[in-house]
Amino acid sequence: MSAQASELMMIKGIHLDCSGLQVLKGVDLRVAKGQRHALIGPNGAGKTTLFHIITGSLTPSMGQILYKGGDITDLTVYDRNRLGIGRSFQITNLFPNLTVFDNVLAGVQACHGLRYNLLRDPRKITEIMEKTEAILEWVNLIHARGQFARELPYGEQRALEIGLSLSTDPELLLLDEPTAGMSREDTRKFISMIDKLTRNLTLIVIEHDMDVVFSLASTISVLHYGTILVSGKPEEVQNDQRVKDAYLGEDE
Amino acid sequence: MKQTFYYTAGGVVLLCLAPFIIGEVYLNLLIEIIIYSLYALSFNILLGYGGLLSFGHSVFLGVGAYVTGIILLRAPDFPFLAVILISGLGTLVLGLGLGSLLLKQTGPAFALLTLAFNGIFATIAIKWKSVTGGDDGICIFRPTINLGAILLDTTDVTVFYYLCLVLIGGLTFLLWRFTKTAMGHTVLLLRENEGRMPFLGYNPALARLILFTLSATVAGIAGSFYMLFFGTVAYNIIGVEMTAIALLMTFIGGVGMFFGPLLGAAFYTYVQNLLSGITNKWPFFMGIIFILMVLYQPKGLIGIFSGLVSRIGSLKRRTSQEPHSGGPIR
Amino acid sequence: MSQIIIFGLHGLTYAGLLFLIASGLTIVFGMMRILNFAHASFYMLGAYLSYTLFLKTGHFWVCLIVSPALLFLIGVLVERVLIRKVHSLGLVYDLLLTFGLGYVLGEIVKWIWGTMPLSVKVEGFLAGSLTLLGITYPVYRLFILLVALGIGIGLALILFKTNLGIIIRASVDDSEMCNALGINIPLIFGGVFGFGVALAGFAGVMAGPLLTISTDMANMVLLDAFVVVIVGGLSSLGGAVLASLIIGQLQSFGALLIPEVSMVLIYVLMALVLIFKPSGLLGKKG
Repeated sequence: MSAQASELMMIKGIHLDCSGLQVLKGVDLRVAKGQRHALIGPNGAGKTTLFHIITGSLTPSMGQILYKGGDITDLTVYDRNRLGIGRSFQITNLFPNLTVFDNVLAGVQACHGLRYNLLRDPRKITEIMEKTEAILEWVNLIHARGQFARELPYGEQRALEIGLSLSTDPELLLLDEPTAGMSREDTRKFISMIDKLTRNLTLIVIEHDMDVVFSLASTISVLHYGTILVSGKPEEVQNDQRVKDAYLGEDE
Repeated sequence: MKQTFYYTAGGVVLLCLAPFIIGEVYLNLLIEIIIYSLYALSFNILLGYGGLLSFGHSVFLGVGAYVTGIILLRAPDFPFLAVILISGLGTLVLGLGLGSLLLKQTGPAFALLTLAFNGIFATIAIKWKSVTGGDDGICIFRPTINLGAILLDTTDVTVFYYLCLVLIGGLTFLLWRFTKTAMGHTVLLLRENEGRMPFLGYNPALARLILFTLSATVAGIAGSFYMLFFGTVAYNIIGVEMTAIALLMTFIGGVGMFFGPLLGAAFYTYVQNLLSGITNKWPFFMGIIFILMVLYQPKGLIGIFSGLVSRIGSLKRRTSQEPHSGGPIR
Repeated sequence: MSQIIIFGLHGLTYAGLLFLIASGLTIVFGMMRILNFAHASFYMLGAYLSYTLFLKTGHFWVCLIVSPALLFLIGVLVERVLIRKVHSLGLVYDLLLTFGLGYVLGEIVKWIWGTMPLSVKVEGFLAGSLTLLGITYPVYRLFILLVALGIGIGLALILFKTNLGIIIRASVDDSEMCNALGINIPLIFGGVFGFGVALAGFAGVMAGPLLTISTDMANMVLLDAFVVVIVGGLSSLGGAVLASLIIGQLQSFGALLIPEVSMVLIYVLMALVLIFKPSGLLGKKG
């Protein structure tokens, strides 16, 4: 398989200046199809910012993003989502006064082209209902389908967060610290769930928990104060001197 | 949900029988309530469902009324339904235009803008004498409806009442159906977390525009009925008072609940009629009630009502902020 | 030529008044993210209070000091009792509250003072005219201009050059941090809101001798003030200054040159700003 065919996303020379501060100073990243790509780095290095740029919430001052061979640098957030890019948030970002079911329904109906339709009731379409229920099953929230999102305990809210990000059927899924705030035990269960669900997707995960990173990732990129220090297989990264000095030497 | 259905069915039956139960004075009051309900409903769709606070809603009511008035002034035999439709169309276009301009802002800035435009249109209504009749406004007569075999004398209260009931009732039903459609769901997303929407493939600006236009159109149709009912309109229909009335009715009834505005309109119209005979300070009391509702009971009368019922009966504790959110199977 | 200068001065005077009115709104929004829809009504209340005070004391200066002081207290009270309660409920609710408050205030004013227009007259030096370089101009108008200038400069100085100003601006930026540092946030918010309301009332007192005091006054000039705030940018004081100047001159020369259309002129300006720079001339997004 040629390098281009297996490449899902290519990030070239991304720079971002924010009021004089250079947040990203030339980020190059290559994400292959089917990859489990972990993005690590110290706090403030720009990981979430990079996610913002990939999804389109922020415009880079310089650089290019190629997705499936096409340049998406100028596309809106929603256009990128329709091309298959999904995202979850570090700080839970749900629809608080809607039920769990309605939360996921939002993404599923959009995925089926029913965004502004004034005539059709999404609940009468079997495909949509089945898909929504399926997603709820995947994230173990089927029992809570009628509860309001704001009423859920934290762990279930995080699960709903994942469910939402999956609801638009993404090919490339960006997860921003999915296990933030979870205990060790919950983290392990959560990650195993994510592992199963994302077998057919390409994944980029921001994580601080090194156990998670090493158990999940096939590729690791280290973002260090605005640039990618190193990118490669877990063993390579683990043994890279620069990384050791900058990052992995400290206790997490 | 079954309960809502029975209440609604009961209500509809009562409304159909109204002309045989109550006298002409109260029938006129009822028509007023029905028309205001539609107005408040259109406002609730915007605020309660979409989370958009607009202080310029009376602009659409007014434009709908004026269009109707202007047409009937020049062409007194213009078909009844056609006049209403054209008024609706006019406000649709206006809603689209204004929406594209104003919706660039959100939240307080948007609210401020709508207030400013409210003032602009009120000024236009006063100044553009040739079209709007300035201070004096416009007076018209209701056109009779010629259905070929039957001639409907719309000046007869009962006839006009049934016309309103059927037409506005039908529109209300359509709006209710709207809340169940995909767009009806999307509108809730706007209120709940607009920020997340683009990440799910939605263009929130487009959603807002569609909602705003829909709301404007319905308000315009309410305006048309307003004109047909009262027979006269003046620039104060576009004033801040009229917008305040929409707010009051929606809030007192229960914002975000579909039937809230209906209750609110009934309450407001009835109390206003009652109190204005007693004291001319009634707007003050209305304002106080409004503030109290905002502070303590945003769920309005419906909140109070369902709160009472759940204490008496065995309604599930889950009184939602919008009635149809819940599992797919009820 | 002298006509042009006079109309230019009219424009400046009106700009001064507009700035006085708009600045209170801008400060409260910029500082507290609260858009006080009752601002208009406080302006009106200030004017009406000055009428009663003038009736009782016969001195305009008394009105200028006491009326805003009273309004400051009212503002602090409102913030404490009403606004705080509603702030946690989300953005729409405080807009609704201030709107309802404005409505009720308008009714209260009608209740106490009736609906007939009232007038306040200034006397002595202020009532006269000044002749300079061949141009005669009413002193009171120049007074408004000077006061507006003074207040504008004073505000800028306080906010940007004093410790108090730094504390206020910091409280707005990151109130939690400031709380942790021991700064009394509720006090500051109460004070800022009270000040904004007092400023509105002060503008009302100033406007009294120039325009008639009536229950319509809230709506009339306020529409222009809203336009100022929109055109200038919601939280920008500098924007308020700039916009006031532009609109003041537009109104003045518009009334002179193209009276029928002049009203529409400022709304066209507003629409243009909305299309090309929605956050206002000097405003920032969000």
